[in-house]
Amino acid sequence: MTQIKWVSALGCVLVCAVGAFGILESGAADVFLEATRPDFQKISLGVVGIKNAGGPDWLGGRIEEVLKRDVKRSLVFDLIDLPGIGIKVQDLDVGLQGGAKAALKQAAESGVSVLVWGKAGLKESSKDADADVSMEGFVYDSGSDEVIGGKRYAGSPSVVRMMAHRFADELVFRYTGEPGIARTKIAYVAEQGTARELFVMDYDGYDVRQLTADGSLNLMPRWSPDRRFLVFTSYRNRNSQDIDMIELATGKRWTVVSLGGLSITPSLSPDGNFLAFASSYEGNSELYRLDTRTKAVQRLTTNAAGDLSPSWSPTGRELVFTSDRGGGPQIFLMSADGSNVRRLTFDGDYNAAPVWSPRGNWIAYVCRTPRKEYKLCLITPDGQKRVQLTTGPGVDDSPSWSPDGRHLAYSSTADGKSQIYMINADGKDIERLTFVGTHNSAPSWSPAS
Amino acid sequence: MRKMLWVYGLALVISSSVVGLSGCSKTAVQSGGEGQGTQGAATGATPTSPSSDRSTSSADSFPDTTMQASSGGLRGLDKNPSEERVAGNSTMVAKAESSSSSAQQAVDTRAEQEALAATGLRDVLFGYDSWTISEDARQALIRNADWMKSNARAKVKVEGHCDERGTTAYNLVLGEKRAKAVRNYLVELGISANRLSVVSFGKEQPICTEHTDSCYQRNRRGHLAVKTGK
Repeated sequence: MTQIKWVSALGCVLVCAVGAFGILESGAADVFLEATRPDFQKISLGVVGIKNAGGPDWLGGRIEEVLKRDVKRSLVFDLIDLPGIGIKVQDLDVGLQGGAKAALKQAAESGVSVLVWGKAGLKESSKDADADVSMEGFVYDSGSDEVIGGKRYAGSPSVVRMMAHRFADELVFRYTGEPGIARTKIAYVAEQGTARELFVMDYDGYDVRQLTADGSLNLMPRWSPDRRFLVFTSYRNRNSQDIDMIELATGKRWTVVSLGGLSITPSLSPDGNFLAFASSYEGNSELYRLDTRTKAVQRLTTNAAGDLSPSWSPTGRELVFTSDRGGGPQIFLMSADGSNVRRLTFDGDYNAAPVWSPRGNWIAYVCRTPRKEYKLCLITPDGQKRVQLTTGPGVDDSPSWSPDGRHLAYSSTADGKSQIYMINADGKDIERLTFVGTHNSAPSWSPAS
Repeated sequence: MRKMLWVYGLALVISSSVVGLSGCSKTAVQSGGEGQGTQGAATGATPTSPSSDRSTSSADSFPDTTMQASSGGLRGLDKNPSEERVAGNSTMVAKAESSSSSAQQAVDTRAEQEALAATGLRDVLFGYDSWTISEDARQALIRNADWMKSNARAKVKVEGHCDERGTTAYNLVLGEKRAKAVRNYLVELGISANRLSVVSFGKEQPICTEHTDSCYQRNRRGHLAVKTGK
């Protein structure tokens, strides 16, 4: 019996050593374990309110609402319902005088670490509907028992949501050193008749902009690292499906890969030096990478099966991709030069559309469950941990990480037509982002600004 | 006996790991070598198609997209904050391209549909996850091939389509496999390959949008369109 244990232990040692060797060889320092710990202690924050100081009726309330939602979505803060814990918000007016001081103390004693308040109004006293709006926000920290600082913003009435987003990102930046995600955007594809056109919206689903209007298929957009461009598959050229690039600020668009055949799933490396993509121009779908400076194209895969959907590790040293070389589609890893290929998924007979998290610790993908449902799954790059993230009806597709690695955007037919949703990386707080249109799909979350 | 099994299992694990490893490194060498072979053979920045009117020269076709290291425009909290101007959304809103390409495509599509109605070319249906040509499909393709033989100047575009299940990306590859399976069978039936082109639409152009098995079956199709124009 002891002998059996010994032998199996020996087996583990050998297999583990082989596994470790594989990881070392690939230089996979991509696994930053515990970067988003489930037991992460959120910072309790209360939004006292954004008072209206002379602007339109909706102004303060709008900013307050956007700010609260941003704070909640940040997952850095725990948004405290102040009246819910017995704090009289009206006592917490601006400043630190009189009753406000006592109320702040009460909030701090109730465990609220940060309190935020502000006011908003018209910049100049004017009846002009387009007059500039201004906003002031202040932050009180109970640890130091002082107002640690504030922000003042001005801009046209059309940017009040962005004022709230900026303020929310400043709060995240102050307490984590990260830029926050409240000013990020999500690119996606929407159906217009028989066409599929590219759109961009704010991360919370607001401020939708149409980017293409060529009447053909425009598919699977991905952001450039600097957020200025999208790369995507275009059917505008009728004889081959090319990879195009579009500049958001100008709408200027051009073709960057035109090899013939079907070229899909472009993905720029984190440093912007390589464009990985799949193309069938030499027969079946294979992976290639284009050196964006020399324009040289290097083939990365060589086999009779379909290889597609490359996604870069945050260091740019490795790619995760889909391949059906084993029959059905499965997730594989390889070094960025095409060497050291190994299969990552072994559960189920359909795993596809992998995306590497910005923190490196997870790979999200579409998994087909034993009940033949297409859901989102997560797996660690070493294959040791795997979880199914979504459940229930509907076909889930196209996961895309938020730049902080705490959320995923994806499309789902859970409500009938394909729409875009956001979900926390722990599977909680599903939020629907698109409500207009019959088919919205292929979300791609922008990098942080 | 049990001990034997353990040892045997262990040996199997080790040997398969080793085989797996050597297999990988062999693949690596191969793909690396092939990769170098194809380097420069195809330039990514080939001149854009004549139909794309807003194309630029290949010289500026790949801008520097490196992210500038910064705190993303955040200046931090300030005890006496100075006013920051918040700019509006700088994203350009697209105007419908009235120009040639989309209008021409609509015209071409209509012409193709009319041409198809006149020919009676038949769609071919596929099984779930499959690109195998079924017996029913063979019969349809034999008739389609006959039509092509008696209309020797017609060129046909074979479209591969999928149902909504599965991912956008993998369905594009699956649709291409279906289109190529149809093309290859037509070639076997004696149709010249240069009269046949393939295109995959994945799950992007369904002819039926209900979430039912019968609808899924209608969408898993190879569609033959007579090419009009160029």
